[in-house]
Amino acid sequence: MSLERSDIPTDGDLVHRARRGDEFAFGQLVERYQRASYAVALSVTGRHEDAEDAAQESFLVALQRLDECRSPERFAGWLMTIVRNRSRNLVRRESLRHTDQVPPGTRSLVPMPDRVAETSELRGMLKEALAALPEVQRQIVLLHDLEGWKHREIADRLELPSGTVRSHLHFARKALRVSLGRTPAGPDLQRKAL
Amino acid sequence: MRDKLQDESDYFGELGQDEELAQTLGLLDPAQQDPNYWFRFRSWVLSNAMAELARRRLMHELTVADVMSSWARAVVSTAALAAALAGLVLVRGADAPAPQPVGVEELLVSEVEGETIPTLLAPETNGAVAFASEIF
Repeated sequence: MSLERSDIPTDGDLVHRARRGDEFAFGQLVERYQRASYAVALSVTGRHEDAEDAAQESFLVALQRLDECRSPERFAGWLMTIVRNRSRNLVRRESLRHTDQVPPGTRSLVPMPDRVAETSELRGMLKEALAALPEVQRQIVLLHDLEGWKHREIADRLELPSGTVRSHLHFARKALRVSLGRTPAGPDLQRKAL
Repeated sequence: MRDKLQDESDYFGELGQDEELAQTLGLLDPAQQDPNYWFRFRSWVLSNAMAELARRRLMHELTVADVMSSWARAVVSTAALAAALAGLVLVRGADAPAPQPVGVEELLVSEVEGETIPTLLAPETNGAVAFASEIF
C-alpha cells in the first residue's frame, strides 16, 4: 500500500510536533535530513569524523532552538545553516588545536587488499579534488550528486538564486572531472573501484 | 565533444544526474562501508535528544495544566477570602441584639389593651371597634 502524498507529513507538521516533544516526528526529521546534513558538514570540514560530529550535534542544536525556526516549512534550509556554522566552528577549533591530521590520500602503512586500497586511494583523490573547490561548490555538488537533491531544492534550502546553483554545479562538476581525470591513475582507478 | 555537450547540458539544461560522478561521490557515503551507518547515526541523535524531547513534552503538558491551576488558584483564593469575610460578618452580627419576632396578631391588637383578635371579631362582642388605616 503506497502512501498518498497528503499522508506524508510536511516538514512544518513534523517541526510543530517535535516542538511538543514528539519523538517520532523528530526522528522523521533526522531520517529525512541526516544525509544532507552530513554532506554539508563534509563539504566544510573535509573529514568524516568531523562531519559526523557536526551533523549529529547540529540536530541536537536544532532541537534545542526549534522554537526559533520561524518558518517550519523551511526547516531544511534553517538546519543547513546550523550545520554550516557548526562545521565552521569545528574546523576553527580543530585548527586552533593544531591536531595532527593525516593528509588526504596518504597511504596507510597497514597492508590492504588491492581493491580496498584502490577504493581508499580514489576516496583520497576525491577528497583532494573536493578540497580544491570553493565551499559553496562542494556543498552544491554533494547535495546534488551524492544526496540527489534537485537544483531547485538546493536553491531554496541554501537560499541561493537558482541560476547561481546551476552555475556552481556546472563548474564544480567540471573541476571534479578534470581533477579525477587528470590524475594519472584517476580514470583507471575509478573504473576498478566502481 | 561528449564532455562539451555534457557541460552545456549541465549549465543550460535540467542539470540531471551525472551517474559516473555520482558513483564516484558515492565513495564518500559512510553507508558504503557500513550499511547500518545511517541507522546508528539516527539512533545516536535520538538517544541524545531524549532529555530535550522529555522537557518539551513536560513543558507542553505544563502549559495546559498551568492555565488550569492558575485559574483554580485564583478561584480558590477568592472563594476562601469571601468565606472568611462572610464568617467574620456573621460572627460580628451575632454580638448585636437580635430583633424580637413580632406576630401579625400582636401588631393588630397593639392599640387594644387586653383583647385578642378572636375576641374583637366575635359576633357577640359589643362595642365599637375601629380600624384605622393610613394610606401613604
